[in-house]
Amino acid sequence: MVFSSISFLYYFLPIVLILYFLVPKKAKNFVLFIASITFYFYGEKAYTVIMLAQILLAYISGILIDKYKGTKQAKTVMSVAVMLCLGVLGYFKYTNFLILNINNLLKTSISILEVMLPIGISFYTFQIISYIVDVYRGKAEVQKSFLKLATYVSLFPQLIAGPIVRYVDVERELTNRKITLEGVSSGVTRFTIGLGKKVLLANSLAKLCDIFKLSDEKSVLFFWIYGIACTLYVYLDFSGYSDMAIGIGRMLGFNFLENFNYPFISKSITEFWRRWHMSLGSWFRDYVYIPLGGNRVSKLKFIRNILVVWGLTGLWHGADWNFILWGLMFGVLLLLEKLVLKKYLEKLPAIFSNLYVMLIIVISFVIFNSNGMEEVVFYLSGMFGGLDVPVINNTTMYYLRSYIVTIVIAIIASTPLIKNAVIRLKEKRRINKIINVLEPIFVVCLLIATTSYLVDDSFNPFLYFRF
Amino acid sequence: MSDKFKNIIITVSFMACVVGGFLINIIIKDEKISESERRKLTQFPNASLASIMDGNFMTNFNDYSVDQFILRDEFRSLKSLIEFNILGKKDNNNLYIVNDAIYKMEENFNYNEIKKAADKFNKIYEEYLTGMNVYYSLIPEKTYYLSDKGIYTSIDYDKIADIMNSNIKNMKYIDIYDCLNEDSYYRTDTHWKQEALAAVVNKISENMNFKEYLKSNYTTKTIDDFYGVYYGQLALSLLPDKITYYTNSVIDESAVYNYETQKYAEVYDLTKLSSMDKYDMFLSGATPLLRIENPNCTTGKKLIVFRDSYASSLIPFFVEAYEEIMVIDIRYMPSSMLKDYIEFSNQDVLFLYSTLVLGNSSILR
Repeated sequence: MVFSSISFLYYFLPIVLILYFLVPKKAKNFVLFIASITFYFYGEKAYTVIMLAQILLAYISGILIDKYKGTKQAKTVMSVAVMLCLGVLGYFKYTNFLILNINNLLKTSISILEVMLPIGISFYTFQIISYIVDVYRGKAEVQKSFLKLATYVSLFPQLIAGPIVRYVDVERELTNRKITLEGVSSGVTRFTIGLGKKVLLANSLAKLCDIFKLSDEKSVLFFWIYGIACTLYVYLDFSGYSDMAIGIGRMLGFNFLENFNYPFISKSITEFWRRWHMSLGSWFRDYVYIPLGGNRVSKLKFIRNILVVWGLTGLWHGADWNFILWGLMFGVLLLLEKLVLKKYLEKLPAIFSNLYVMLIIVISFVIFNSNGMEEVVFYLSGMFGGLDVPVINNTTMYYLRSYIVTIVIAIIASTPLIKNAVIRLKEKRRINKIINVLEPIFVVCLLIATTSYLVDDSFNPFLYFRF
Repeated sequence: MSDKFKNIIITVSFMACVVGGFLINIIIKDEKISESERRKLTQFPNASLASIMDGNFMTNFNDYSVDQFILRDEFRSLKSLIEFNILGKKDNNNLYIVNDAIYKMEENFNYNEIKKAADKFNKIYEEYLTGMNVYYSLIPEKTYYLSDKGIYTSIDYDKIADIMNSNIKNMKYIDIYDCLNEDSYYRTDTHWKQEALAAVVNKISENMNFKEYLKSNYTTKTIDDFYGVYYGQLALSLLPDKITYYTNSVIDESAVYNYETQKYAEVYDLTKLSSMDKYDMFLSGATPLLRIENPNCTTGKKLIVFRDSYASSLIPFFVEAYEEIMVIDIRYMPSSMLKDYIEFSNQDVLFLYSTLVLGNSSILR
C-alpha cells in the first residue's frame, strides 16, 4: 500500500487511527502490529511470510546472543543471523543481476529467476541487522517480547521506504510512549506537507521526466531540464515519503530521526551526504565503514574502505551497473574532497561551491534514474552536446513554460527558506498568532488539493519501492 | 490563536477530513457510470480467498476507492483548476483551452503508425478491391487549424498526408485539408460539425463523380447541450456545444441496417440523445458494420466506406447518390470477415480516416 493513495488516506489510515486511539495503552502495539501486517500484505501478499520469518530469526538470535553474551557462540549466532538476512536480500535482489552478468561474461545462458523484489526488504533487512548487531555489541537490550520486536520491524510508517529506524532509537518508545496533542498536531502537519511534496510536485516532475524520455523532439536544453527535474523529483519523492513516515510516527507517539536535512544547500559532496538519506549513510558508517577500520588505518586501506562503502551504497539502491557507478562516483568524489579539494572548497564563495555540488548531483541523478549503462551514456551525451540535437526547440519551450512554476516551487521546497522564514516570523508574538491561524488552513487546503490529484489519477507508484 | 488551540484545530480538522471522508464514502451509494468521463466506474470488488491471495482484490479496491470517491467530478475540476491557475500548467491531461474551445495535444505521436495504416489499406485493396474505384481522404484534428497556436505544438499533419501518399498504392487521394477550418469542429469534442461539411461534401463528391446526384435541399434541426468527450476529460465548466443536423425526405426514408444488432434504425438515431455521447445520434455511434439503404435511389450506384466516427456525420450527405452504402469500421471487426458480408464488384470505395485513428493504427484489424 502506498501513502499517496485514496485507499491509504481515506480507508486504512482512519480505521487504524480510530482503533489505535480507542484501545487501552497495553493493546496499542498489537493494533500497530496487525495494522502493519495488513499494510504490507495489501501490497505484497505472500511475501509477508518472508518478513515474518526474518522477524522470528531476529527474535531468536537476539535471545541466543543475549544468552551467550561475551562468548564465542554469541558472535557465531550474530554472524549466522546477519548472513541469513543478507542471503534473503541477496536472493531476491541480486541473483538475477549476477546471472545476467555471468551470462554476459561467460556466454552462458542460465535462465533468470521468476522472483519479484519484496517491497521494503532492503529497509527492513537493515533494521533487523541493526537490532542483531546492537544486541551483540551490547548497545541494545534484547527484546523478549516477540510482539514488540515485530512491531518495530514491521511498523508501517517506515516499513517500505524508510527512514531506516534503528532499534535503539525506538527501544524506549516501543514500551512506553506518550501521545500528545502537540505530537499529533505536528505529525499531521508534517505528514500533509510530505504528501503534498509527493503528489503535487514529485509526481508532476516524474511526468515531465517521462514526457522527455518518450519525446522525439529532444534538445540540449530539454536534457538539462530533464536532469534538473529528475533530481528534484527524486528528492521530493523520497524526502516527502520520509516526511510522511515521520509525521505518522508522531501521530502514533514515535519520534523517528530525520532522514534529510535540505541536501541541496550543501557546499561539498561530503556535506551533501551528511544531509541526504541520513539513516542509510549512518547505517553504512556504523555497520560497515567503522568495522572495516574507518579512517584510522593506512591511507590505502582508508581508500579501500571508502570505495567498499560507496560501492555497496550504490548496489543497495538497485541491482544494476549504473547504481554501482553512481555509488562509486560519490566514493571517488568524497576521497577527492577529503584528500585534495577540501581546502579550496572552503575558500570558494558559497554560491560557487553550491553550484559545484548541484552540477555533480544533477549528473549523478541522471545516472541514478537511468535503466542500465546504455541510457547513462545517452543522457550524459545529450546534456553535454554529444548528440545530434538542437540546442533548443519548440517542444522544449512548451514544457519549460508549462512546468516552470512547478520547478520553481520544487526548488524553493528543497531549501529551508520557508521554514526559516516561518521560524523567524514566529518570534514575534503577534505574527505567531497569525501563523497559527494560517497553518490549519494550509494543512486542510493541502490535503484537499492532494486528494483532488489522487482522485484524478489512480496510478501512482513510489520511486523508492525498487529498493 | 494560541499554540494549543492551533494544535487542536489541526488535529480535529485532519481527523474530520480522513475519518469523515471514510464514513461518507462507505455510506454514499456507489455510481455505476461517470457521465463526464463516459465510462463505467469500478464497483466494489468481490472478496474471496483467491482474489485476496493473488492481490486482485487489492488492485481492484484501489481502483474502486478512486472511482467512487465522493464528489469525484468536483475533485477532478479542482485538480484542473490548480494545474492551470496555481501551477501555471499549459495543459491538463494533455488538454488545453484556446478561445473557449478544448484542444488535445498528441504527445509523442508515432509516425510509424501512419505507414502501418497505409500498409493495412494496401492489404485490404489487394484482398478485395483490385480494379475498383478506390479513394482515400484524411481528416486532420482541429489543432491543425488553430490559428492562434501560441506556444502549443501540434503534430505535422502534412507529414502524415505525405507518408500516406507515398505508401498507398492504387487509390486516389482526395485532399480535404483546405475544406475545413478552426470553427469546423465542436468546441468540447474531437469531432467535426455536420454544418461545416459543405466544402468536404463538394470536394469528395466531385472527385468521386457523384456530385450531380446531390440535388435535394435540407432542413436543419438543433440539439442543445452537447457535452463533448473533451469536456469531461478536462473537468472544467465550459458552455456546451449544440448539435445541428441536416435532414430531408431522402434521408428520412432511408434505413440503416446494423449487422451487429441485426436491427434497422434511422440515419439519425435520436434514441442516442439520451446516451453518454450525443454524437452517437449520427449512424448510431460505434459499430462494426452498417448497410444504408435508400429506396428512392435510381442511380444504381453503391458505395463502400472504410471509416471511423468522423464519417458518421458526413455519410448522410452521400445517401442521396447511392442505393446502398456499406459502412465498415475495422476497429470493431477484422477485415478478413468482410467477405462474409459484402460482395465486392463495382462499388465505389472510400477510405475516410482521421489522423487520430491513423496514429493508433494498430487498432485497425
